[in-house]
Amino acid sequence: MERSATSPSALTGAAKGNGDAVFAAIVRCSAALILLGLGGMVAVMAWGARGAFARFGPGFVFDKAWNPVTQHFGAAAPMFGTVITALLAIVLAVPLAFGIAVWLTEIASARIAGIIGTLIQLLAAVPSIIFGMWGFAVLVPFMAHYVEPLASHTLGRVPGLGTLFRGAPYGTGFLTGGMILAVMITPFICAVMRDVFLSIPAVLKESAYGLGMTRWEVVRRIILPWSRSSVVGGVMLGLGRALGETMAITFVIGNANHIGWSLFSPGNTIASLIALEFPESAVGSLKFSSLMAAGFLLMLISLGTLVCSRLLLRTKAAGR
Amino acid sequence: MTVAHNDAVPAAISVRNLDFYYGAHHALKDISIDFPQGQVTGMIGPSGCGKSTLLRVLNRMYDLYPGQRATGEVIFDGCNIIGPKVNLNVLRSRVGMVFQKPTPFPMSIYDNIAFGVRLHERLDRAAMEARVEDVLRRVALWPEVRDRLRDSAAALSGGQQQRLCIARTIATRPEVVLLDEPTSALDPVSTARIEELLDELKADFTIAIVTHNLQQAARCADQVAFFYMGEVVEVDSADRMFTTPREKRTQDYITGRFG
Repeated sequence: MERSATSPSALTGAAKGNGDAVFAAIVRCSAALILLGLGGMVAVMAWGARGAFARFGPGFVFDKAWNPVTQHFGAAAPMFGTVITALLAIVLAVPLAFGIAVWLTEIASARIAGIIGTLIQLLAAVPSIIFGMWGFAVLVPFMAHYVEPLASHTLGRVPGLGTLFRGAPYGTGFLTGGMILAVMITPFICAVMRDVFLSIPAVLKESAYGLGMTRWEVVRRIILPWSRSSVVGGVMLGLGRALGETMAITFVIGNANHIGWSLFSPGNTIASLIALEFPESAVGSLKFSSLMAAGFLLMLISLGTLVCSRLLLRTKAAGR
Repeated sequence: MTVAHNDAVPAAISVRNLDFYYGAHHALKDISIDFPQGQVTGMIGPSGCGKSTLLRVLNRMYDLYPGQRATGEVIFDGCNIIGPKVNLNVLRSRVGMVFQKPTPFPMSIYDNIAFGVRLHERLDRAAMEARVEDVLRRVALWPEVRDRLRDSAAALSGGQQQRLCIARTIATRPEVVLLDEPTSALDPVSTARIEELLDELKADFTIAIVTHNLQQAARCADQVAFFYMGEVVEVDSADRMFTTPREKRTQDYITGRFG
């Protein structure tokens, strides 16, 4: 409460100067800017995409074709690739990040945990183009020569599940893309998990150990339930990043407009499609508009993920 | 240094020449003390004197933290439990612990108790329900929670949570129960309840309780140990300790001259 200068204890009257009002206005503007920026972005994407949606209608979402020669465009293949690679990345990264986080917080000595923790943070700081080059130079040949032939000879023979592991071992493709993404998002998920595991009161864990629980039982029954919402939040953060990641995955996805259940087959993602084709499409052309439409769909997918995670957390919280 | 020998009652736990270190800090110095079976041993002394540390040795809780180590002997059921080959999960189920602050697990009231039991015993549904009811009755919590066993334990009051934690600890049928200032976060009514409870529990369990409340020690304990600067200064029956202490330091502490 500001006090007037003339009578120091007066409760009413004009505030001293109007610094507070100015400050309030500034922070209000900052908040409004977020709304404006987000709204503007959605509007621009939607406006840019209007040509493609007018031409192809809702079928744009389900159409597998992407043919600049016949001027026929559809976003189904890159959407498929985006979702598949992101899900693969989550499937690979979450257990890994979880294991690292548990080890760092529960088992490793403080000194080692500090060193490894810093290294993991450094991994998060590696530019994505580096991951792309590493993926292309190291991971792709490794997958093509060893992993994929081996997997198709073993897992590929399993009925049903085997479908995922059949096909020519190109090296590039959904699986390699998912693996690169997994390496990139593991540090983020791990950092979130580690922080929340550290925030659990020591006495709660001690009580659990005090009942004779093993480490796994403590993790499974105490730590995970206690930190569930933050862990889901961390996973969603990773998923969001995996969906939008461009540079690294462009190097290893194979850039083929393809939908298929073989994880070895080359594919495409929305982000890498845009990165590759945007520079060579004329402003105002149908292709340009189609790319904008694809970008718009990517935003919708990301937004949908966020909404899903919120719903997931809310229903679980209510069910407790 | 005196070791209390109550020849009539065998010791559930015998501590002999125990030293304990937090890294370089020598927290317990050549401790020897017996915890007589079926009795309440109260541990008093100023903060940082090693009372809680001794509790954490008795169930090897210190093992969770690298850099903490103990040397000497702690004999429980004929076995030196600070030796290398001890199964900690079994030890901790036989030497239960209740903490200063209530620590309900993030699950229902029922599961808070049933979970610990399931770790060590296979009970069918009816037996488990009977066990849960039995321990909740023993801690006098049953009338308050019988209609909401499936609710989250976090919704209980502090005193109720602490009684739940005691119920959870005794549900696994340990031989020894360690209590680390179990009432210091509670209101007087809840405190009185828990003190009554201790009196009933000692029929079945050996109890070691750390407390800053000297009246509590006088009320609850059969035997009292006074700790000072990592040493056990004096161990005696509660009556003698609070009326005719042998050591000057004990007398100074219980008359409030320091601590």
